[in-house]
Amino acid sequence: MQTIETDVLVIGGGATGAGVLRDAAMRGFKSVLVERTDLSMGTTGRFHGLLHSGGRYVVKDPEAAHECIVENVVLRKIAADCIEDTGGFFVTTPWDDPAYADKFHAACVQSGVPVQEVDPAEALRREPRLNPDISRVFEVPDAAIDSWKTVWSCVRSAQEYGAEVFNYHRVVGINRNGDKVVGARAINELSGEDVVFDAAFTINASGAWGAQIALMAGCEGITILPGKGIMIAMNHRLVNTVVNRCQMPTDGDIIVPIRTVSVIGTTDIRVDDPDELFITQDEVDRMLDDGEKLVPGFKQSRALRVWAGVRPLFKDDRASAVADTRDVSRSHALVDHQARDGVSGFLTITGGKFTSFRLMAEDTVSRMCEQLGVDVECRTHEEPLADSESGKFYWLGSRLVAREKNLHDEQAICECELVTKGRLINAIERRDTKDLDDIRRSLRLGMGPCQGGFCIYRATGILHGVQKLDGRAANASLHNFLQERWKGVHPILYGDQLRQARLDDWIFQGLLDVEHAPR
Amino acid sequence: MTFDCVVIGAGLAGMTAGVRIAEGGARVAVIAKGVGSLHLGGATIDVLGYAPEPVDSPRAALDDFIAANPDHPYARVGTNAVSGSIEWLRDHLPEIGFVGDLDANLQLPTAVGVAKPSAVVPRSMAAGDLRAGGDFVIVGLEPLKDFYPAYCADNLAVAPLTNGGSLRARAISIAPPVAGEADVSPLGLARRLGDPETRKEIIRTISNRLEPGETVGMPAVLGVDDSPAVWTDLSESLGTGVFEIPTLPPSVPGIRVFRKLLSLLRSAGGRLLVGPEVLGMEAEGGRVTAVKVDTSTRIVEYRAAEFLLASGGVSAGGIKLGSDWRFVESVLGLPVALAPEPGGERFLPDYFGEQPAARAGVAVDDALRAVDSEGNVIYENVRVAGATIAGSEPWREKSGNGIALATGLAAADEILESVKGGD
Repeated sequence: MQTIETDVLVIGGGATGAGVLRDAAMRGFKSVLVERTDLSMGTTGRFHGLLHSGGRYVVKDPEAAHECIVENVVLRKIAADCIEDTGGFFVTTPWDDPAYADKFHAACVQSGVPVQEVDPAEALRREPRLNPDISRVFEVPDAAIDSWKTVWSCVRSAQEYGAEVFNYHRVVGINRNGDKVVGARAINELSGEDVVFDAAFTINASGAWGAQIALMAGCEGITILPGKGIMIAMNHRLVNTVVNRCQMPTDGDIIVPIRTVSVIGTTDIRVDDPDELFITQDEVDRMLDDGEKLVPGFKQSRALRVWAGVRPLFKDDRASAVADTRDVSRSHALVDHQARDGVSGFLTITGGKFTSFRLMAEDTVSRMCEQLGVDVECRTHEEPLADSESGKFYWLGSRLVAREKNLHDEQAICECELVTKGRLINAIERRDTKDLDDIRRSLRLGMGPCQGGFCIYRATGILHGVQKLDGRAANASLHNFLQERWKGVHPILYGDQLRQARLDDWIFQGLLDVEHAPR
Repeated sequence: MTFDCVVIGAGLAGMTAGVRIAEGGARVAVIAKGVGSLHLGGATIDVLGYAPEPVDSPRAALDDFIAANPDHPYARVGTNAVSGSIEWLRDHLPEIGFVGDLDANLQLPTAVGVAKPSAVVPRSMAAGDLRAGGDFVIVGLEPLKDFYPAYCADNLAVAPLTNGGSLRARAISIAPPVAGEADVSPLGLARRLGDPETRKEIIRTISNRLEPGETVGMPAVLGVDDSPAVWTDLSESLGTGVFEIPTLPPSVPGIRVFRKLLSLLRSAGGRLLVGPEVLGMEAEGGRVTAVKVDTSTRIVEYRAAEFLLASGGVSAGGIKLGSDWRFVESVLGLPVALAPEPGGERFLPDYFGEQPAARAGVAVDDALRAVDSEGNVIYENVRVAGATIAGSEPWREKSGNGIALATGLAAADEILESVKGGD
């Protein structure tokens, strides 16, 4: 059994956890993060990729809107390489209440969200596929942000300050010494080994899974209601600007152009278990119909992949008893277990949204400092993340530019996402992984129109060589990738994407016969 | 434009039917939107590999398989037609030199190193038969990203053998002289192997590393039109068995078959049009009289006495599923059978499991004429062949080319009889 000693233990490898890890490490704490699967596998890796301007919340929740625009400006400064500066439109379609537009504009001004009305003809010139019947258009500083990259960049920055990450480590218990939390017990999911983390302070940043962790520490009465939202990635950039319906926030009213695709979201359905997310035909149909309202012909595009994420909606059964917790809310909740439960050395941070992850981390670490009687200022809003030092935003053509330079010297393993052999080998070695799905999230390998039809056999052959796997282990990795991919594609297969999927079946079943490969 | 028969689609079904109809003395045009599925799939004739348990002898298994799967295309043509179609192919393509028959499936390595059952295979692949074991060296070509010899060999070394014996496999990787390119397509590499100097270099490198008694496996890039000479040269110079392993599309072995069939079609007076899309048809009195073809400059009517639809299944675009979740046959608008209703289960979460929509296609009668859900013939003169026909799961069964060949030739016979009967 391994024992790891640390000042701060962070539980949860989403954006919040990575943010807390970085913040704590930058303030001089020896910090360690545990995550039961890979980083960004929960809510963080399962949203549409919108960096909010705040526009979405200006009417409904002005405070949240203000928080968004403040953090939007901060993230543009510190995480430029993760952000594509697409800008955002709020458009009034024939299905929207025309009276909302003026309310929206006034509320933007009040919340400090920069807003500019645009002539619909000008908006259509910039975004020709938009519904020509839009009557009002407002421009706001929405953007697209790559959540995987942001989390990995946060982690790399934290590592530069000495932090460590233990992914594929599942927390199975929280250790207490009397009224004080002193760390956690975890299982290394890859080796089966038990690991004990001895920590002076433990931060529960496990989002939708937060109540389960709090309960392990003996803190009862917290409920986190998982709100399921589905998103569909459509092939191509149907728009190059984030497009929102100009109405009170509802389902299927945002299209985010991110990387090579456009993502439409989302729904909000209460579910019981954040690990059991089913996608229904009805949800898919509604999302496609909503897409059609913003971009006529939306359904004729290829639907590449569908997924569901869970918003952690926080509810405290003891809300009336303790002032510092809130009722069901979309803003974040920092639960002070010392005040609430008389348990020290333990905080829970949940709720919130991706755009405000850095602020959530700052609040949390500041509270920890307060409890520990340490006075160190937060600096996470000043220092850029790894790879964002230049302050240049990510640009859609950047991979193509890089590819042009090595066109004659390097093999392109994934033609859809322009991943070269060198880049793939580098990612396998850097992450030291045997899991093709880990590589997919790091490089977008297999996320383009062919959904791995051509690159995944190649990547398996390369993985087999780099990691010196035996045949069975390589087959298992290939098998697992195909099975995981299928989960995200089978509910939305139609049109040319179904045709593509059947060609992939032809390759994997008819030509390679992966099904009968020993595992 | 008037023909005895218009064939729509240039895959294995459409091309073999076209050749047979032309050789039978009828005027035939094969019209295809693309170059055809032979460019994608391998050239092995997989007749039946899993039913769903492994099949050793398709001949022994087919009758029971047909009885258990009355909706399957094989049930429309019967075992004898399957058998006859293979003899036809062997006789017609001596350069490819098809080896094997319905009596026993060969077990050929895939690029992953899995032993895949195939009934009839090109001569250039036959030495890869794993049933009796042996010592194999799998040779990779570094500029080709579609083949990983070490991965293939690792799996081959543990492949189950049906005929006993032992199997050893190792891998080597060589860098043939392909100056200036890191990334060569299978077809590009196959053309380079046609060059005797390049080949000499490859032979020398392999010879230096070859152990006595080893059979040599290579990715399927051993020449294009000159493949018999390339393969013979490699086998004789190395003094051992050499075999090709199919790789990712484009399929060089499939392209060879396509080119031979095209040359036979032309010799017999048939013609092939690649590119134009069939937009629709004219019908009168229960018969289709013409198809409308978009030739990019204008719409041309191709009139014919008989029509054969060999446009492929979902993967080729012959069958489509709309965003309204309705399946359609995309060329002539024929009804699609075995298709889940909108809202019904189409695909299930287990990737390698049975998929409810996988068998969707056009239902046919025993003369391969399209029929509706009641079994009534839709058009007297419209027949269907290959993957467009409902009822099979070609990749799971390992039956795709077997179905294409058997139904293509059976439809051609029906068409010839009808054309001659009408004279």
